[in-house]
Amino acid sequence: MLERGKISALQMAFMMNPTILATGLLLVPAITAKTAKQDLWLSPIWASFVGFIIVFIAYRLHKLYPNETIFEYSEQILGKIPGKILGVVFVFFYFHITGIIVREYGEFVSVTFLHHTPMVVVFAVMVLVSSMAVYGGLEVIGRCSEMIVPVLLVLYLSIFIMLFKDLDTKNFFPMLENGLGPSFKGSVVLQSWFSEFILVSFFFPYLSNRDKGMKWGMISVLSVMVYMVLTNIMSLLLFGKLTASLTYPVMVAARYISIADFLGHLEVIVMAIWVAGTFVKITVFYYALVLGTAQLLKLSDFRPIILPVGFLLILLGVWSAPNLQELSHFLSTSAAFYFLSIQVGIPVMLLIIALIKKKRKQMKGSVTG
Amino acid sequence: MNRHFWQTSPKKFLFPFFLLFVFLLSGCWDRKEINDIALIRAAGIDKKQDGKLEITVLLYVPKVRGGSEQGMEGGGGGSMQTLIRSAQGKTFAEAMSILQEKISRQIFWGHCEVFIFDEAIAKEGIAEHIDLFLRMPEFRERSQLFISKQKAQKILSLISPLERDIAEVVRELGEQKLGMTVTTKDFAEMLVSEAGDTAVPWIKILPPIEGQEKKQTIAYITGTAIFKRDKMVGKIDDSVTRGLLWLRDEIKYAVITVTPKDEKGYVSMNLLRANSKIIPKIKNEKWEVILEAEAEDDIIQNTTNLDVTNPRVVKSLEHQLNVQLAKRVNETLKEVQKDMKADVFGFADAFHREYPEIWKKEKDRWHVIFPNVEVTVAAKIKIRRQGMNSVLPQFPKKEVKEE
Repeated sequence: MLERGKISALQMAFMMNPTILATGLLLVPAITAKTAKQDLWLSPIWASFVGFIIVFIAYRLHKLYPNETIFEYSEQILGKIPGKILGVVFVFFYFHITGIIVREYGEFVSVTFLHHTPMVVVFAVMVLVSSMAVYGGLEVIGRCSEMIVPVLLVLYLSIFIMLFKDLDTKNFFPMLENGLGPSFKGSVVLQSWFSEFILVSFFFPYLSNRDKGMKWGMISVLSVMVYMVLTNIMSLLLFGKLTASLTYPVMVAARYISIADFLGHLEVIVMAIWVAGTFVKITVFYYALVLGTAQLLKLSDFRPIILPVGFLLILLGVWSAPNLQELSHFLSTSAAFYFLSIQVGIPVMLLIIALIKKKRKQMKGSVTG
Repeated sequence: MNRHFWQTSPKKFLFPFFLLFVFLLSGCWDRKEINDIALIRAAGIDKKQDGKLEITVLLYVPKVRGGSEQGMEGGGGGSMQTLIRSAQGKTFAEAMSILQEKISRQIFWGHCEVFIFDEAIAKEGIAEHIDLFLRMPEFRERSQLFISKQKAQKILSLISPLERDIAEVVRELGEQKLGMTVTTKDFAEMLVSEAGDTAVPWIKILPPIEGQEKKQTIAYITGTAIFKRDKMVGKIDDSVTRGLLWLRDEIKYAVITVTPKDEKGYVSMNLLRANSKIIPKIKNEKWEVILEAEAEDDIIQNTTNLDVTNPRVVKSLEHQLNVQLAKRVNETLKEVQKDMKADVFGFADAFHREYPEIWKKEKDRWHVIFPNVEVTVAAKIKIRRQGMNSVLPQFPKKEVKEE
């Protein structure tokens, strides 16, 4: 095994939370509002089903191949060559998606604060820090998130509380104006976020308390769903129909806070959440990418490829989109199908084949025995 | 060969690694030193005769305050804490960049809390400027908007006797919520609402008391400018604005004075809390709105002979308050709904919420329906207490009427 560290199931839940939420919190309200209108707060609830299903599938696969990650058991399930091809697909997919995340991070930082700093520098600093965390291995990442994430969640709730007096519940209505359809449509894009939960299949083999993996995985999905619903409710009640046209509603919401004339200009909180959250997110993806690549190439250690991969991630950040418009267009249209087919489609296929194989083996066993 | 970057003996790499930090000494791209930026407190937008736009900004001048020598100098009338500059251009953005040429420090908009548009600009439409305020990351969505009778430049050049600067005056007046308070976000929200009509508080210069210096005065909110979409179509005065606030459930403070029937003199009441709700109804294709208003009052002055401790007197006063409120609201409706035909009350949204199906069909006819929407006022104003003193000492008891 390449990774010798162990993490607890709780740490895994903490790691997965910002891995989904970090970029979601900022972009989700606007993207869902475009299709779901005033029902946008329902969309995360529908989308979270994908998350629950994915965690379930990953857990079933883990039960069948307890000590292996998805890269390793795909070879066992599909055979050597197809398994390797699938591995290559996964590696390129993770390269692409991590590049996009790096880009999303850079876009936000440079739009809101560092207007003149070249985006490459913003990427590079983050990737460098993440690479150190990845170098430390899974235990380091786990403990990092255990420290960071509770603070983030509390900070985030504090924004919600401080905005309370500016919220207008009238904006909820008319509820379900066009039936459930629009909120389902809005959830399609969100599903791509929830499908990222397939990353748990990288962590299940390294859990110290494996029996609790499923439980904490599900709790993690639930908490992500709750936070997304809260975010969408906050944007809806504060901005009403304006939500759809804002690029970063949560950012605007945070700086709209003004309590007693002196507690205001709190976008710093959002920035803290964003930087710390995306740090965890990028690190988790980066780790999965590096570990997967090493397993695919049968390396004896994953550490030598950390820096080269990091360098590629910076480049992919630059290459992933020419501008913000293209990026958000991609994310709100084709990305959903692209992410879903790889992060949901492939695991489902793997599980089905694995189950059939197991059945056959049992039947053979019963025949010969 | 399991030696990697972080693992290789540090000493060999330490020196070249630290050398890398030399590049950081030149500073970062986005540093903003407080002594390099010009804090803008308010901006005014005027229309020039040649069709160009003129923006005027109020800059905060950081000065050592409280130092003994400076303090003496500033002693006379309010020391100059602010500075105004203006620039012209085709758009706000263009004028902004020309403005930068005239200011030695980098303009920083993050603290601009007040935007004043003059009437001419408002009549042309202000959405194009709001677009910039919402697009540029530096601008805050909580900045308040005002429409001014006089040129915005004139208002910004006033020297406030009480507050730090005129921006603070106007902002605080807005926060009092005696008139409407509209932030950039509120305005944009109204623009994308079903009706799309907007309203912005109207300000004008308070004429200074005779003998005082001409510039030593402030601008104050005295009514509301009514917009169809983003173009100003008219203005309503202070008392009509009160009706508008009742309809929008934004009323916070008020003193209501009524003349009781068959009585000379007045009874004044202080509003403690108020809530109002508009309930839309469609009956046989007739569109109606019921305004349900609830409020609690305290009596603060009584110049009549009525005994306001008598519960029956209080009952009849309450009734008259209700009538008074209905009259107020109807005045507002007459001006804004019938004459200007602007739906700044949120009726369209209310109908959309209550009757989504009918609304979908009739949406395009809203401008025809709206002026004919019938509004009924169902007010429930309660008088809670008669104040600290129940009977005026100058009225002998026998003169006080029982009813």
